Amino acid sequence: MKIEMELNGRAVTHEIDPGANLLSVLRGMGQFSVKLGCETGDCGSCTVLLDGEPVNSCVVAAARTHSHKVTTLEGLLGDPLMKELQQELVDKGAVQCGYCSPGILISLYAHFRAGNELTDHHLREALTGNLCRCTGYVKPLEAALTVAQNQQGGPDEQGGAS
Amino acid sequence: MWELKEYRFAATAQEAGALRRQGPGKGAYIAGGTDMYLQPVDCDFVVDINNAGLSDIARTPAGDLFLGAATTLHNIATNPLVADFAEGMLIQAASHCGNRPVRSTATVGGNLCHALPSADMAPVLLALDATCYIADEESQESVPLADFFVSPRVTVLDDRLLVGLALPAEAATRRCASYKLTRSAEDISLVQVVVALGVENGKIETARIALGAVAPVPMRAVLAEAQLVGQSVADISLDLVADAAAIAAGECEPRDDHRASAEYRRDMVRVLTRRQIMKALHDETTITKDSGGTVA
Amino acid sequence: MSASKNRHAVGHNVEKVDAFKLARGEAVYTDDITRPGMLTAKVLRSPHAHARIVKVDVSAAMALEGVADVIWHEDVKAIAHTRAGQSYPEPSPYDTVIMPHKARFIGDRVAVVAADTAAIAEKALKLIEVQYEILPAICDMDEALERTDVLVHEEADPLGIGGGGKSNVAAHIDKQVGDVDAALKTCDLVVERVYHLPRVQASHIEPHISIAWVDEDRRLIVRTSTQVPFHLRRILARILEMSESQIRVIKPRVGGGFGDKQEMVVEDLVSVLALRTGRPVRLEFTRAEELIAARYRHPQRITMTTGVMKDGTMVANRMHVMADTGAYGSHALTVQGNTGQKVMPMYPAPNIHFLVDCVYTNNPISGAFRGYGAPQGCFALESHMDEVARELGMDRLELRLKNHIRLGDTDPLSAKLGEGREGLARVVRSTGLDEAIVQGCEAIGWGQEKKPSAPHLKRGVGMALAMQGSGIAGVDWGAATVKLNDDGSVNLAVGATDIGQGSDTILAQFCAEELGIPTEKVLVLSSDTDLTPFDVGAYASSTTYVSGGAVVKAAIKVREQLAEVLGSTWECKAGEIIFADSKATGPGGKSMTMAEVAMFALYDAKIQPMATASHMSNESPPPFAAQFADVEVDPETGQVEVLKIVSAVDCGTVVHPRLAQGQVEGAVAQALGYALFEEVLLDRSGKVLNPNFLDYKIASALDVPPMVTILVETDEPTGPHGAKAAGEVPIDGPAPAIVNAICDAVGVRNYRIPATPERVWRGIKEATQE
Ligand SMILES: Cc1cc2nc3c(=O)[nH]c(=O)nc-3n(C[C@H](O)[C@H](O)[C@H](O)COP(=O)(O)OP(=O)(O)OC[C@H]3O[C@@H](n4cnc5c(N)ncnc54)[C@H](O)[C@@H]3O)c2cc1C
Ligand code: FES
Ligand code: FES
Repeated sequence: MKIEMELNGRAVTHEIDPGANLLSVLRGMGQFSVKLGCETGDCGSCTVLLDGEPVNSCVVAAARTHSHKVTTLEGLLGDPLMKELQQELVDKGAVQCGYCSPGILISLYAHFRAGNELTDHHLREALTGNLCRCTGYVKPLEAALTVAQNQQGGPDEQGGAS
Repeated sequence: MWELKEYRFAATAQEAGALRRQGPGKGAYIAGGTDMYLQPVDCDFVVDINNAGLSDIARTPAGDLFLGAATTLHNIATNPLVADFAEGMLIQAASHCGNRPVRSTATVGGNLCHALPSADMAPVLLALDATCYIADEESQESVPLADFFVSPRVTVLDDRLLVGLALPAEAATRRCASYKLTRSAEDISLVQVVVALGVENGKIETARIALGAVAPVPMRAVLAEAQLVGQSVADISLDLVADAAAIAAGECEPRDDHRASAEYRRDMVRVLTRRQIMKALHDETTITKDSGGTVA
Repeated sequence: MSASKNRHAVGHNVEKVDAFKLARGEAVYTDDITRPGMLTAKVLRSPHAHARIVKVDVSAAMALEGVADVIWHEDVKAIAHTRAGQSYPEPSPYDTVIMPHKARFIGDRVAVVAADTAAIAEKALKLIEVQYEILPAICDMDEALERTDVLVHEEADPLGIGGGGKSNVAAHIDKQVGDVDAALKTCDLVVERVYHLPRVQASHIEPHISIAWVDEDRRLIVRTSTQVPFHLRRILARILEMSESQIRVIKPRVGGGFGDKQEMVVEDLVSVLALRTGRPVRLEFTRAEELIAARYRHPQRITMTTGVMKDGTMVANRMHVMADTGAYGSHALTVQGNTGQKVMPMYPAPNIHFLVDCVYTNNPISGAFRGYGAPQGCFALESHMDEVARELGMDRLELRLKNHIRLGDTDPLSAKLGEGREGLARVVRSTGLDEAIVQGCEAIGWGQEKKPSAPHLKRGVGMALAMQGSGIAGVDWGAATVKLNDDGSVNLAVGATDIGQGSDTILAQFCAEELGIPTEKVLVLSSDTDLTPFDVGAYASSTTYVSGGAVVKAAIKVREQLAEVLGSTWECKAGEIIFADSKATGPGGKSMTMAEVAMFALYDAKIQPMATASHMSNESPPPFAAQFADVEVDPETGQVEVLKIVSAVDCGTVVHPRLAQGQVEGAVAQALGYALFEEVLLDRSGKVLNPNFLDYKIASALDVPPMVTILVETDEPTGPHGAKAAGEVPIDGPAPAIVNAICDAVGVRNYRIPATPERVWRGIKEATQE
């Protein structure tokens, strides 16, 4: 079947299998930041934004993105918030093998953009769908808290690291 | 790879039913798809109900709460209309179901229609006396959620559509507590216990104890509930609460599986029911904090 | 920190060389390419734990449109080998062929399809008809050891390592220092306990993935997510009957390995299919395949027997390991060897006995996983130290302080054991263990009273000591090539394998340090068997210590070449020239920038400054760790909440603080799962019950407790710039520390991990019933 979606701000038409998951379709379109880790919605290496909300694209039907907006990391490379998140992740040493990094970045980006609370606990909740086997989450959270402090224009008043 | 011949979109509930029955071949509804992509259903086509006007949350003037079947768990977890209903129990349940990105698409209807014993939205909705609205083109039917589940993965639906759920205004003021026992922070339930108590003039008028993952279908512990009705909140004894909890443990029918033994699950029903009753009664002295797992 | 030693690169948090491209999601991993006409391969796996594969009818599958090839054992020559990626000759039994004649576990390879798409390949699998002759299966370790009527491997191992052909023994070790039996009779107290360790899986987020094709020169190119490209090339050459020159293995960025990719898991299949079809072939494991057909940490049962005097002096210590290697014996001998060798020297009693029975069963395969046997041994020994202390009525910290290994001590077990053959004695030339204990105690608040956060909860603390190695002494080696470019940058080509741990960055820092240039001027190329020199690969905590040594040597050689060239024009001795701050400076204020030096060498002197160096060490200096856990237990439900984990680690000179901390933090998170919730469950027929992340739980952001990581610096005289290793040692201690803390809280010990809520609950229940 043919679908028309808005991918990273551009209308695209794509021929898909009706049962295909969004992950396989996006990779087929060259969106390599979207990675396969489990295909059961658990690991988050395939996280993308669907109409601005983070989803695990392996458990989303590609067909349902017809007339909807899909955003991958590729589409956010010029975004100031995303750049800041990437810079902090790199600076804090939160990128080891990097396989989880695009998914973590998308989840954090969505959490920040939605205006959610930025405490250590809320950031951990935002990352529940992103498994990282390398870092133990310490440095990714440190990076996220640093961005949170910058965003709030000062030290984190809402609890910070527990 | 899920072999589907066709993916159809329904714009209304009526159209959903029509598209499904139209054929050719076997059809199924799809909402978030988070269950379907894990265990692809054997069918020729699916009917997408995400844009069928089933995604709303509303409060009637009388105070009843209505959840459209295609409402996402994230929407429930963040919706202000839900926040002050039954001490935010629905928010607790929804926000501990799956992980953050899954909740963006997973729907409450999908959770119930998939009908696993561990469906995490079922106990809280049972404890708040939810009614299911079911439709096909000709008829509408409402069924108490307590009668909705038939056996694991089977509901009363057949090929009909779950349109939504209604929770009575009366349930909004219940005193509630719930707990989801898990192996790690983000996990499906080993045991879930939800307690909702309607208190009037210092007396427990209605009592609901709903249990998840300890029977073929989500269930209520009606004998234990009966123990509590009529008790004075101020004078209720710890022994009576413990008795009720033990009765609930006797009522459930847990199974051994690779996640936990029946013996453990049964004892956890006892422990957690006792604690949730105390918590619902706002007795902060006996139990002030539950460690580990998730306080749902 | 080491920066104080006036180093400009080593000891600093330089930018990880690959971090930005990874954070941008660039196409850098194995699967991020496509090639015209590429096929996708899928494996048909045995539903039987033990069955002869009599006949495979592939005709219907082959007839399906889009299917290019189907192979089974009739199509592929059976050349015995081991899939373990170890130095040649491998100390693992040659018990494997590409396509087996007999399925030895539920999930063993039966046939492989290559088709235009994954969907067609999956459809084709369903069309294959297999005639099995079902054989009795052995899924229990003890039964496997006893029985000789049912053999998992009937053929004798050509190298004679396993008991193939006669018994189900895959590896046996019996090494003794002194006389433990005699010594036990003289002890005031003998404590014996049995500990049970689960099957757990590395669960790197990038699955096993390989793509192979035949290029225009008729060479086989294998692009693969591996830790051991050079071992892989050697093994492939042998089993495909090709020469190494016909094969090129390329390792792109790797999405985690943790030992699970120190093994040929899929590369042989894509190679065979690419050679047969002449088309590119891709094979990627599903997560279910990872949990069924990749490798596990060996499940073990460890019996500890320890004799002490009243004052706590340890006189004799015996560790008896019973281990299940599953259907094949890769790493069977060496992982089990490590369980004692890396662990028992922590308390160098005069009498030490280490015994191993590692058996084949019809269960899925065990292999290498970070820590390589030591986490099992450390769990047993460090749980046991608490038990001994309790029986002695002695403080558990004091007992450890009295007996632990010290500077200058030799480790006698290493000499006896080695890597499957006589090894080299190990002398401790650097240790920060005492300091680690002091700082760790301080950070956890050892000895302070800790109140639970609610009346119905219990609080406890626990500790564990750990040591590991830095490479395999006398075996592991690596090489590096350094080449200077016009602009003063250098290319650094290493066989060492960056799999996410950051070794490219560490090696670039060593290179930059020696040449006096910033790390970003070092362009690292890692692991392409055509382009980089040899290295054994990423395992045994060898990269920083061993490969780092090669980089230092190669960079020094280039520096000397430059000094010579400059010395002749500046008319001074080479030794008078200093390389620092991206400049060369000679006597009398002579100075050139590195770019000028490069231009001079290339265009005036007309030489290419370039050198290759190899490095091997006859030592494997142990890094040390003291780890502590603070926990809260709910005795009624058995739930455990870890409130804090402290790791104080001595890894020698800290080359990159953030990367070293990252190694510790990641290891702690993995060990937390080992302690509390990770376990691959098998039913009695050997079938995996939880082959997905829904039921095989690894730690999420909400599970990991606050961590305190302390790096205690020492200066290892045999290491590059004083460095040892950091990658493995921190995974050893958290599990025993957590279980010791649970025991401290509720007075009941978990002899079996993971300490799930149900196990803790049951332990408490049984203790109160007694
Ligand atoms: C990583 C992960 C974690 C999860 N964790 C949890 C958890 O902790 N607890 C839990 O309970 N579940 C969990 N789930 C399961 C799942 O997400 C939920 O059950 C979810 O609510 C299902 O909703 P859906 O809209 O995605 O359902 P779908 O997959 O779209 O549908 C599920 C089934 O219901 C039918 N259906 C859906 N809507 C209707 C309707 N309106 N009328 C009739 N039939 C309908 C479909 O035909 C299908 O058979 C998890 C899933 C994943 C992938
Ligand atoms: S691949 Fe989608 S969540 Fe793992
Ligand atoms: S950095 Fe490797 S999985 Fe997160």
